[in-house]
Amino acid sequence: MNPIRFLLRLSLFCLLSVNPALADETCQSPYLPKITGQEDFIYVWTLGVEGLGDGSDKLVTVGANPAHSDYGKVVSSVSVVGRHEAHHAGFTDDRRYLWAGGLDDNVIYVFDVATDPAKPKVVRTIRDFATSSGGVAGPHTFYALPGRMLITGLSNTKDGGGRTGIVEYSNDGKFVRTNWMPDKAPYGYDARVNADLNRMLTSSFTGHKNYMRSLPDLMKDPAAMKNFGNTMVLWDFHARKPLQTFDVPGAPLEIRWALQPRNHYAFTAAALTGKLWGVFRKDDGTFEAVDLGPVGDPASPPLPVDISLSADDRFLFVDSFMDGKVRVYDVSNPRKPRQVHERQIGKQVNMVSQSWDGKRVYFTSSLLANWDKTGADDEQFLKAFAWNGTTLTPAFAIDFTKEKLGRPHIMDLGLARPQVARSRTMRSSARVDAASP
Amino acid sequence: MTRVLAALAVAIGVLASSPVRAHEGHGKAKAQVTTGAPLYEPPQPGTYDLPAIRRVSEHRLVGTDGKRAPILGLAPGRAAVVSFIYTNCSDAAGCPLSLAVMQRLDATLAARSDLARRVRLVTVSFDPARDTPARMKELRGSLGPKGDWRFFTAPDDPALAPVLLDFGQDAAPLVTKDGKETRAIGHVLKVFLVDGRGDVRNIYSTGLLDERLLLNDLLTVLR
Repeated sequence: MNPIRFLLRLSLFCLLSVNPALADETCQSPYLPKITGQEDFIYVWTLGVEGLGDGSDKLVTVGANPAHSDYGKVVSSVSVVGRHEAHHAGFTDDRRYLWAGGLDDNVIYVFDVATDPAKPKVVRTIRDFATSSGGVAGPHTFYALPGRMLITGLSNTKDGGGRTGIVEYSNDGKFVRTNWMPDKAPYGYDARVNADLNRMLTSSFTGHKNYMRSLPDLMKDPAAMKNFGNTMVLWDFHARKPLQTFDVPGAPLEIRWALQPRNHYAFTAAALTGKLWGVFRKDDGTFEAVDLGPVGDPASPPLPVDISLSADDRFLFVDSFMDGKVRVYDVSNPRKPRQVHERQIGKQVNMVSQSWDGKRVYFTSSLLANWDKTGADDEQFLKAFAWNGTTLTPAFAIDFTKEKLGRPHIMDLGLARPQVARSRTMRSSARVDAASP
Repeated sequence: MTRVLAALAVAIGVLASSPVRAHEGHGKAKAQVTTGAPLYEPPQPGTYDLPAIRRVSEHRLVGTDGKRAPILGLAPGRAAVVSFIYTNCSDAAGCPLSLAVMQRLDATLAARSDLARRVRLVTVSFDPARDTPARMKELRGSLGPKGDWRFFTAPDDPALAPVLLDFGQDAAPLVTKDGKETRAIGHVLKVFLVDGRGDVRNIYSTGLLDERLLLNDLLTVLR
């Protein structure tokens, strides 16, 4: 091939690399191989419920490809022994393993999702998280780094409060290091990296004593309600050094960096104050946190919990637990979000995930075992919707109580066969070669 | 030089001076190649920690002369930067990027007397069937190392497997929908910084694969 033909091919690659029709799910670590096109499975890390089925936490695999006979059905379910407050999970950088944590007792289960993607298996159990980390507790976000897993904590073993840290393990399950949150911003929750900027953002929630307590009980305790994070921290990611601390009152939770390479900002939602926030890079390279306004009625904050940003940085989906709604904002102007859609998902709703092409959006219901609603409002579901840019349309739903599974929490997308294809992610740091067989 | 290597060399040349970045406007796909300056300043050497991530062993692979040799040259006070590639890689932001960064690092190291004899750059092919010693020699020739930059391949896949396993480098042939293997190899781009004890002190992938970071990390590790 002569150089001119090669450069033409290079240009074609660049064209392909920005075609959203060839994209995949958003919100994953930029270091992950990406699924291009239609996902086949949704892996749902699910809290066990006493007296329901086997009562244990479990990884539930749901068929997500409408071309397959298992579409909208439970394909498999693999239980771990006992209930650990199953919460979040994340793939390793080669996407072969899914790490899933328990917020209550700090146990981490590593599932092999590559050998038989329809039937994940536990291949490693990590029980030394709290001891090896020097006392970090409540493993929350599992975020793939090259050859490592970055895990944010929510708490500590010393007092069960909110002071916590960020822990790293090698992919083969060995402790690497702990970075404690800074003294002026000790709480932790999510962590997300913008590799192009060498910046990491972290957010803040509350400690074990609060998140394992019943929500109505907790809300009647003014002293306990003071023990929530009100900060976000910007880090030099490479050095793992905090650079700036932002006041973001009311427990800023999930963080989503913009995905387009020239969009240097991130969003979060402050749960207790019911507000959207943006963190924007300024011309001098420092960042500022900006209150972007309320979610829903400011007189009755609906507890916004999870958010999901579309790959073109246009739509931000915001789930709010109390009213069970999703609100979709047009964030083309990121400093002035404009609500363009609203839909009732259920009596309660927590997590939201979307495919990279933005055509499919999935919701689950559970927040925490002791915070979920009770009685008839305690709906537990996975619901799939189609999104056409203006409206959500139901695709399928699974009743996790009726199926005797439990409380569904985080969702991660998978492929059925060793399909491998070139990534077409937007950001240079998000580019990876392929999903490995 | 073979056509494949010529294409690879061109890609490396392009990347050496103009990082490929994509940009898309809302709603419509729009391709753009920019030459934007780095958006961050690397932290200064010695101001941060690089704890061991894993330990790797010395391995003997086949060099460009067709003879087996240790790839890392582990010794106290030394370090190695190891990249895994295959010459058929046509992804501009994959192996060509890795080689372009290694090329820039090689030039920087060669100009520094305090580092030139303490750091070895290592490029290992994970496509031994096609990347013969002769082909790796061609690749070496096209890149023109100025310092201690060595190129290795293996007699076959079984001989290479322990190396990939030791480093945690995934690599597997891509398959078509009907299950046929292609010449493309699926892998996550990784570059490893290994100290004199064999401890992997950092692993780089696209995004933070930056020769400035590599240099400062080497200075940090070798302090």
